Amino acid sequence: MEINCRDKTTREINRLLRESIAEGNKDIQVLEPDGRHNLGVALLEPAHVVFDGSVGYYCAGMMDGADVEIRGSAGWGTAESMMNGTIIIEGNAGSGVAASIRGGTVVVRGDAAARAGVSMKGGRLLIGGNCGYMAGFMMQKGTIVICGNAGHALADSMYEGVVFVGGTIDSLGNDAVLEEPSAADRKNLQKLLEAYNIPGPKSFRKVVAGRKLWNFDRKEIDVWKVAL
Amino acid sequence: MCGIIGFLDKTGSRPLGQTLLAMLEALSCRGPDSAGVAVFGPASPFLIVQIMLPQQEDHAAAVKKILETARDCGAIINHHLVGDFLRIEVDGTVDPVELEEMLVGRHAGLEVVSLGHSLEIVKQVGSPAGLEKTYGISKRQGSHSIGHTRMSTESRVDLSHSQPFWAHGVPDLATVHNGHITNYHKLRRQYEQRGYRFYNENDSEVIGVYLRDRLAAGMSLADALRSSLDDFDGSFSYLAASGDSLAFVKDRFGFKPLMVAETEDFVGIATEEIALRTALGREFVALEPAPGTARIWSVPVKVSA
Repeated sequence: MEINCRDKTTREINRLLRESIAEGNKDIQVLEPDGRHNLGVALLEPAHVVFDGSVGYYCAGMMDGADVEIRGSAGWGTAESMMNGTIIIEGNAGSGVAASIRGGTVVVRGDAAARAGVSMKGGRLLIGGNCGYMAGFMMQKGTIVICGNAGHALADSMYEGVVFVGGTIDSLGNDAVLEEPSAADRKNLQKLLEAYNIPGPKSFRKVVAGRKLWNFDRKEIDVWKVAL
Repeated sequence: MCGIIGFLDKTGSRPLGQTLLAMLEALSCRGPDSAGVAVFGPASPFLIVQIMLPQQEDHAAAVKKILETARDCGAIINHHLVGDFLRIEVDGTVDPVELEEMLVGRHAGLEVVSLGHSLEIVKQVGSPAGLEKTYGISKRQGSHSIGHTRMSTESRVDLSHSQPFWAHGVPDLATVHNGHITNYHKLRRQYEQRGYRFYNENDSEVIGVYLRDRLAAGMSLADALRSSLDDFDGSFSYLAASGDSLAFVKDRFGFKPLMVAETEDFVGIATEEIALRTALGREFVALEPAPGTARIWSVPVKVSA
């Protein structure tokens, strides 16, 4: 079925989406989104929802289990706090894409702006292009894959989780360290890229937590001075 | 919050006024306090001066006195009163700085809102719809423009604190700003010690003063915009427009949003993509510039009078 955003308030569109899914429509096209904010937030049932154009802020945030396609670019905070499901952004993503997600997969085919995947608590973020500064800041779990270049302070103060970068890294954040990817890592990356039809780079570098910020140690006061 | 927009028509084929109004209305929820536009119309041999009248005084009496002052400075070609503004056109050979000094010096509460050969600023407290009602901005013509919808966070809501701001002392230079210049007080103190005048308490006003100072020091506008990335602290996406250019500057952290779209026909800039889509359609790519960037376009078309 189709929902046209023209002449409808955002609340009406989201209510219509939820009601349609509850009635058994599992394949919904949302037309003329035109960069509007808060579209498709809190979708809690499985369904395939396509936004036929660019969307504004917080699209498909707090959702659990739907498959969402955005045939354009997405504004700030797309997919934030998602529990499960898939979001594919055909264009670029604004700042804070996939912030605080707990599960599911977010795919950005283009570039992602600053603060991508901050405070992730699970799930996967796959970026086909480059990303801005502080991607993966304070992430606690999950995987970020950046096929292009990463900006400054990558994975700053991360607790756990892993970041893979195909291109250059402007700088690593506090307590982020490089590690050699394992054979299993390489295999998983290849599978992931193939699953979403994203051309990957020849090789990836792997960034993990140095774990120096896990426990306070007076002898390492200098590390803390920089981090805080 | 606040919403800012910029539009540059490369081919002269779009109705500038209608585009501006559609963009502003799409951002009206970001700035319910006031709305305004700086339009660059056909270049005039005369100086167009937009004057905000003293609020307390009887308008007719104030206009009479202001015109007398302006006549002391140079011949007045014509004048008329629209909304809160007195618009006068004076001989182009008049020294703009001297004219403003005389007007402001002799009339308490008066403010020169814009001055230039093509620049005209109109703004008012309230929504873009209200701005359209008073000033008919949808009928304005020109090559490029910037606009603003304001949500005040630090300073008073009135006409004087509304944007766009003219860069006093520099004909045809205006700015709109979304964000907060956090070293405003320090910069203002320094500039005031050097004799620059501030007309309100809005931190965004310092951008125009800064650009004026840098231009006076011999910098090009493009270099002045780039150097502001180092000299301003805080969060800012701001636009500057002169008689022959349109530019944006985005702070190093990218704290404030800004979307830019460029095609063969136009350059469109807006705080949110919704303003570009609503006003300009779907057949183009809109991109968010990288943090810490500035870009300037020169105006390629001259709109005939």
